[in-house]
Amino acid sequence: MAAFLSLVIDIVSSTLVLALVSLGLGVVFGLVRVINMGHGAMLALGAYLTWAFSGAGVPFALAVVAATAGVAVVGLIFEALIIRHFYEQPFETLLISWGFYLVVTELIKIVWGSTLKNIRNPIPGTFSLGPAGIGRYEAMVCLVTILLLVAMGLMLYRTNVGVRVRAMIQNREMALMLGVNAPRMYRGVFVAGAAMAGLAGGLIAPMFSIEPDMGTLWLVRAFFVVTVGGLGAIVGGTLVGSALIGGATSIFALVSPQVFAQTVVFALAVVALRFRPVGILGRR
Amino acid sequence: MRQQTKERAATGRVQRGTVTKRQWITRWAGPENVVAVLVFVALFYVPYVVAGYPVFILPQYMLFGVLALTLCLLWGFGGMVSFGQGAFFAVGAYSFGIVLKHVDGSSAPWLGLLLGVVLGAAVAGGVGYFLFSANVRDSYFVLVTLAISTIVYVIANSQSGLTGGFNGMYVDRATFSVFGVLEISLTGDLAMYYVAFAVTLLAYLGFRFLQWSAFGQVLVSIRENEDRTRALGYNTAMYKTVAFAISGAVAGIAGGFYATDTGFVSPSLGGVLFSTSVVVWVAVGGRGYFIGALIGAIGISVLSNALNSLIPEYWQLILGVLFVIVIVFFRRGLIGSLLRLPQYVQGRRHEPAA
Repeated sequence: MAAFLSLVIDIVSSTLVLALVSLGLGVVFGLVRVINMGHGAMLALGAYLTWAFSGAGVPFALAVVAATAGVAVVGLIFEALIIRHFYEQPFETLLISWGFYLVVTELIKIVWGSTLKNIRNPIPGTFSLGPAGIGRYEAMVCLVTILLLVAMGLMLYRTNVGVRVRAMIQNREMALMLGVNAPRMYRGVFVAGAAMAGLAGGLIAPMFSIEPDMGTLWLVRAFFVVTVGGLGAIVGGTLVGSALIGGATSIFALVSPQVFAQTVVFALAVVALRFRPVGILGRR
Repeated sequence: MRQQTKERAATGRVQRGTVTKRQWITRWAGPENVVAVLVFVALFYVPYVVAGYPVFILPQYMLFGVLALTLCLLWGFGGMVSFGQGAFFAVGAYSFGIVLKHVDGSSAPWLGLLLGVVLGAAVAGGVGYFLFSANVRDSYFVLVTLAISTIVYVIANSQSGLTGGFNGMYVDRATFSVFGVLEISLTGDLAMYYVAFAVTLLAYLGFRFLQWSAFGQVLVSIRENEDRTRALGYNTAMYKTVAFAISGAVAGIAGGFYATDTGFVSPSLGGVLFSTSVVVWVAVGGRGYFIGALIGAIGISVLSNALNSLIPEYWQLILGVLFVIVIVFFRRGLIGSLLRLPQYVQGRRHEPAA
């Protein structure tokens, strides 16, 4: 029973952490069709900024907010300088954003060095849930993720902006023709994606060690979350994708080493991609 | 010779109509072939001019060049960007190392290469057919190749009994015996240099032949418009699968020679970062020309080597910026743009290369 409960907690928390990391990628991929290979670098930048701010004595929560803003600004600069000229060219944006990854990762190495960094857990201790338990900080991150997803859902389905965004997913040309301000909308979406990456990077920073290349594995995982979940199904798709990828990894990790479980899940995700290229919740 | 060209033209593969001497010259002595000859002649004479370190290090970069050629086939001609070429390179390198360690006898190096080729082709062909037959393409294909390299990296890292795990694997310089008559020992740097040179030259010629063949033409047609090519009756999934399998196999060969050249195989060869640096080489060199990809790989590797000790922190940054600039402004890559220059000056507006 205890084992089962801790497995459930493990699955839920890894699902939510994965959803947090993937959300920014899913938003940008699903709405403006940009495969942001720079997402991994944005995560790392968020983590490093959080580390730098909290090292300078800023309280952790404030440091995360500042990191989020910082990554959003970097995303804005990148969008305004380069990406906005390449919307609708998926291959070019993919390659350019990989260039962004290289540049940002190298800048991180120059500014902060390549050595591993760690942030002390800001909320130590565990909540005990009967026989099993969950770290207080992990629980807090899960809560933030849930709030973020709810806020996202409310924004998409309860606001004027949400109507425009959904119109853009359903029929891009028609939405643009009916007066959706495309350049502003695209910029907003891209910057929001960057901000979410920064937030995710800052929040996962205390749970994992921080290194310049920390983003690559998360990038691959996030890609699979988005594609398995379904392109354009932002909230539901991200949750379903994370549950499948994160949950499957947790379950396989019971019988095999963690890295191997990851491999099996990637292979399964490739199979899923073949049989349902639009993802579980995606529309053609 | 001219008669031959005419016959060739009549088959419709190249270009219809009679071929004048002038056209014959521009076809065979075009900028691409001239540059290719210059590059290979220069590489051939390097050991005559200098000794020591360049002769030691260049074989490795030439094998990187072969790896770049495999991506160039996929990307420049098939329109498929692979972020996982390093994975096949790693598969070839590990196959070679493992066979050399566990098999005795003079045929071991050949078996190692064979295993690398078979595994590279099988993985690429298997995954390729699985995906292409369901019409998985473009960005999704990129995603899958990313997954392949992650998976190979993880396997290489975790199966430490077989691969040496995180610490990598040491491989000896092999001795190839040709039919028991000729023995080519790669222990000397000079021998290694010319073997790597031969491998690179053969790979280059092979890919150029492939480009000229009917197969290559269909591949380009798939790049330009896959649906239309399929409508014309070509089994595009099969063509793409074969192209991917060929690139996997050749990457496997390059990996095998790399293993015996450097004497060390690290799991990072299979990782995402190495695979993506192959993408950078090909993009910067020029994906539309095999020679561009080759020069890109060798040139960037040489520059990396020189500048990594000089400005270790900034070189990678410069490379990243260069990559972005090339993608934004020089879509054909640096060498590719240079090779297009004569046609550009003449104002010809044939734009076949992507």
